[in-house]
Amino acid sequence: MVVLDIETEDGQREALRRMLTIRAFDTKAADLFSDGELPGFVHLYVGEEAVGVGACSALESDDYITSTHRGHGHCIAKGLDPDLMMAELFGKANGYCNGKGGSMHIADVDAGMLGANGIVGAGPPLATGAALTSHLKGEDTVALAFFGDGAVAQGQVHEAINLAATWNLPAVFLVENNQYGEATPVEKQHNVQNLSETAEAYNIPGFTVDGMDITAVYEAVKEARKRAADGEGPTFIEAETYRYHGHFEGDQQPYRTEEDVAIWKDRDAIESFKRRLVDAGTITEDEFDEMKAEIDQQIEDAVGKAKDAAYPDPSEAYEDMFNAAVPEISDFSSGMRADGGEDR
Amino acid sequence: MSTETSSGTGPDQTKEMTIREAIRLALREELERDDDVFVMGEDVGKFGGVYEVTGDLVEQFGEERVRDTPISEAGFMGAAVGAAATGTRPVVEIMFSDFIGVCSEQIINQMAKNRYMFGGKTEMPVTVRTTEGGGSGAASQHSGTIHTWFAHFPGVMAVAPATPASAKGLLKSAIRSDDPVIVFENKQIYEQKGEVPLDDDFTIPIGTASVEREGEDVTVVATQRMVGESLELAEELAGQTSVEVIDLRSLYPMDTETLVESVKKTGRLVIADESPLSYGTHAEVATRVMENAFYSLDAPIQRVGVADVHIPFSPALEEEVLPHGSDVEAAINRIV
Amino acid sequence: MTTTIGLVVNPAAGRDIRRLTGGASVSNNYAKRRTAGCVLAGLTLADDVDVLVMPDSTGLADRIVDDAPDELGVEFVDMTVTASGRDSRTAAAHFADHADAVVVLGGDGTTRDVAQTIGDVPVVSISTGTNNVVPTPVDGTVAGAAAALVGSGAVPAAEATTRHGTIEVNVVRAEQTTVIRGLATVGVLDRPFVGTRAILDPSDIVGGVVSRSSPAEIGLSGIAGGLVTHRPDDPGGVGFRLARDGESGATAPTTVRAITVPGRLSTVDVAEHRVLDDGEDYAFEVDRGVVSVDGEREHEVRNGTVRLRPVSDGPRLVDVESVLERAASDGRFRLG
Ligand SMILES: Cc1ncc(C[n+]2csc(CCOP(=O)(O)OP(=O)(O)O)c2C)c(N)n1
Ligand SMILES: [Mg+2]
Repeated sequence: MVVLDIETEDGQREALRRMLTIRAFDTKAADLFSDGELPGFVHLYVGEEAVGVGACSALESDDYITSTHRGHGHCIAKGLDPDLMMAELFGKANGYCNGKGGSMHIADVDAGMLGANGIVGAGPPLATGAALTSHLKGEDTVALAFFGDGAVAQGQVHEAINLAATWNLPAVFLVENNQYGEATPVEKQHNVQNLSETAEAYNIPGFTVDGMDITAVYEAVKEARKRAADGEGPTFIEAETYRYHGHFEGDQQPYRTEEDVAIWKDRDAIESFKRRLVDAGTITEDEFDEMKAEIDQQIEDAVGKAKDAAYPDPSEAYEDMFNAAVPEISDFSSGMRADGGEDR
Repeated sequence: MSTETSSGTGPDQTKEMTIREAIRLALREELERDDDVFVMGEDVGKFGGVYEVTGDLVEQFGEERVRDTPISEAGFMGAAVGAAATGTRPVVEIMFSDFIGVCSEQIINQMAKNRYMFGGKTEMPVTVRTTEGGGSGAASQHSGTIHTWFAHFPGVMAVAPATPASAKGLLKSAIRSDDPVIVFENKQIYEQKGEVPLDDDFTIPIGTASVEREGEDVTVVATQRMVGESLELAEELAGQTSVEVIDLRSLYPMDTETLVESVKKTGRLVIADESPLSYGTHAEVATRVMENAFYSLDAPIQRVGVADVHIPFSPALEEEVLPHGSDVEAAINRIV
Repeated sequence: MTTTIGLVVNPAAGRDIRRLTGGASVSNNYAKRRTAGCVLAGLTLADDVDVLVMPDSTGLADRIVDDAPDELGVEFVDMTVTASGRDSRTAAAHFADHADAVVVLGGDGTTRDVAQTIGDVPVVSISTGTNNVVPTPVDGTVAGAAAALVGSGAVPAAEATTRHGTIEVNVVRAEQTTVIRGLATVGVLDRPFVGTRAILDPSDIVGGVVSRSSPAEIGLSGIAGGLVTHRPDDPGGVGFRLARDGESGATAPTTVRAITVPGRLSTVDVAEHRVLDDGEDYAFEVDRGVVSVDGEREHEVRNGTVRLRPVSDGPRLVDVESVLERAASDGRFRLG
């Protein structure tokens, strides 16, 4: 796989590719969902691509991330395979979680992706923990928590940041301020105007960057990562961004107008990065179109493969609860508990 | 503070010590054995734990591995989950089980579910130690017995030691397990003494009960403090009624077989556990026995526990609600 | 006669990456709100004042308006909020036609945005940003009072304002020319991207043109200021180019000490510097780089020519102290 490193031209093309992959993946997921093909619900990352990809391009491959309910973009940015993600969205046996997790719980711990998360605000403590591992074992990995503006109001997020700051752990807290928590605008959820102001309470640096500019997110996380790896503790970054889709697919979005959305689409992260790369001669318009077509095909193929893949065997429902099997579950699945086994 | 020694261990050597010392010994041995193990919680370091369980461990292992936390149960429970997923083996102390509510999110939605949700692709070697039980005038927010919540909740294992030996053996198994285990320590029996194997590989498998005293007439399945009080009672009743006392030890998974065997022999069952009575640990034991030994029962199953009230402050009231050996005796008398 | 004062408060000022990379201090929005409140209080020095406030998306402006003194008529400018520098330019364009004076809370960037479209309306600029060259930290009440005096005509604008210089930038690439305006400084940096905008590393600086220079200023104007002092209202500016990586110019470089970012005393080799006349070009050939404007990276350049030229048509900046002193000497602070 090409290394995602915005400092190099190859890396820039790769960054563009990943942003496009996220957009294609989630746009497809939206279609599949509205066609009734996907179970559950999906939260899409369209519009926010620069944050995930910019951040992951500043991380090393063995660094950890924690994610949110809106996690597809983080997965792709971290290098997960869209085929296996799509299979997971379909609940298929070959998905990342063997079909047990779905959209909201995709994880690949080996790849450093500690899980999308259905609980708003639950990720940052996990990142603090991963950073604690790094600290205790003297590793040079860093843990980055992606979380939403809404999550900043959660008590456990405060606890996680305070712990990481007090223990001087190699963590980066990256708020994706997409301006809404569900339907509630950020200014109705927080008394500070910039969420990065909250960093002052932890005596760590906090600042706001343009989350629609991948180079800004990259640079910010790069500096924060360096600081973490140098043993100087966590950094709080707020990336200002916007989700183009509703909170979930099917959201009627009474809380905003098309003009509101248009203002942000005007600054579209993919479009502007592409323009800059074309300008610099890093990619031509034709190459870009080719890349996009290739990605669209890749996602089509992923859907095809996911549809063709097998569902998990029903008996799989009784697997993976524990490392060590417990009789409560194995006896149930083998029918023993119903029978009782006693002679009358 | 007394210190136990673990030197000069022969395979069968034992030493008398308290439950508190046995837990500390288990922690010390596991911290020595595996660099990935670390302890964290409020005042577990220099201060040695509010019940002095961690004691002097910080002196031997340092502040990194016996780690004082801010008062952030959700934060450090979550950190334990993240740390466990990335290659360490945290042992978390929640000072009072009554406080678990503030961090139950991380227990129920992260610690308990991640392995399953991720299709088995993560380990979750977290041990949570917490205290339970009334009897010290600590009132309702510091006296609860809540282990049923987590024994009930899929994805966590729950154990509750009653003796120094089981305290050591269960805790060591918990720490070595790649699954999350919550160890419920009744704080009234920390001073209780008993022989403890000094073998530093002595463990008690989670999911096993122990027949502490054999008997013919009635089975008492007890947990924690009720084990000791039931054994005393059995001794008092000896010659009159033959009482078999089983220490349940492992709430989940539960050693159904040992319980069923016993009831098939005695035909009578009393369940003694300090939980509230409704929808509880008692009910689970009773159901398993009914499912597997219904036709062996000669009398209705009896439950001894706390009526569905909180633990009150006044000694007069607290004494009223807490179960004791005398309640077990009354239960036995109803069915034998 | 009603005096109309425009108010621009940039909610984003003072929140960029320099909180991590430089010694920049933090300006939180509570502080900005308090400062804006002080400005409004200061404005009540004149009778019959209307205030037009730039709206923003963060709620900061709402609070400022809510908290305004009753004797002021306060309204929002009717405009679309984009949460970018465009807002300051839009508001300033409105003020150019409707305001008698303008108060700006922000940094060099905000002041420059306002300067682009404000025309001849006097500007009181208060620093709430990071390391600023143009706006100075001044108490809001004092600044508000000065704006009231100038806006109402009590102190003639001509006597209490100076015309700041600007820098015109032409980025020429093939057939296409991009025009940008800087207020105090324009730099050429060896960095591929606009990124987080701030100038992170002084060693990226290739050179630039400043409309003012002084060793007391931070950044490009400080570097030039180590060689010549150029007042903001002096016509023309200073152009310079650094000696980089052993490149040598026509003459041996001059080594200068300068404060390049807060907390950083740098030593730079200046290959060439020149005092520029009004309108005189100073050009850089750039393969890959960024043009910075007033301390922020602004425009990426690939294979182009960056032509910089000082032009004396900047905003009229109010000298707060001399306004108040002049008003005092006119007896305006004496009652009866
Ligand atoms: C603890 C908790 N409370 C409520 C929810 C329901 N919920 C899901 S997403 C969401 C909004 C989250 O907003 P934000 O953190 O800004 O993330 P975004 O959706 O904007 O990416 C809410 C309230 C939840 N999943 N978890
Ligand atoms: Mg949000």
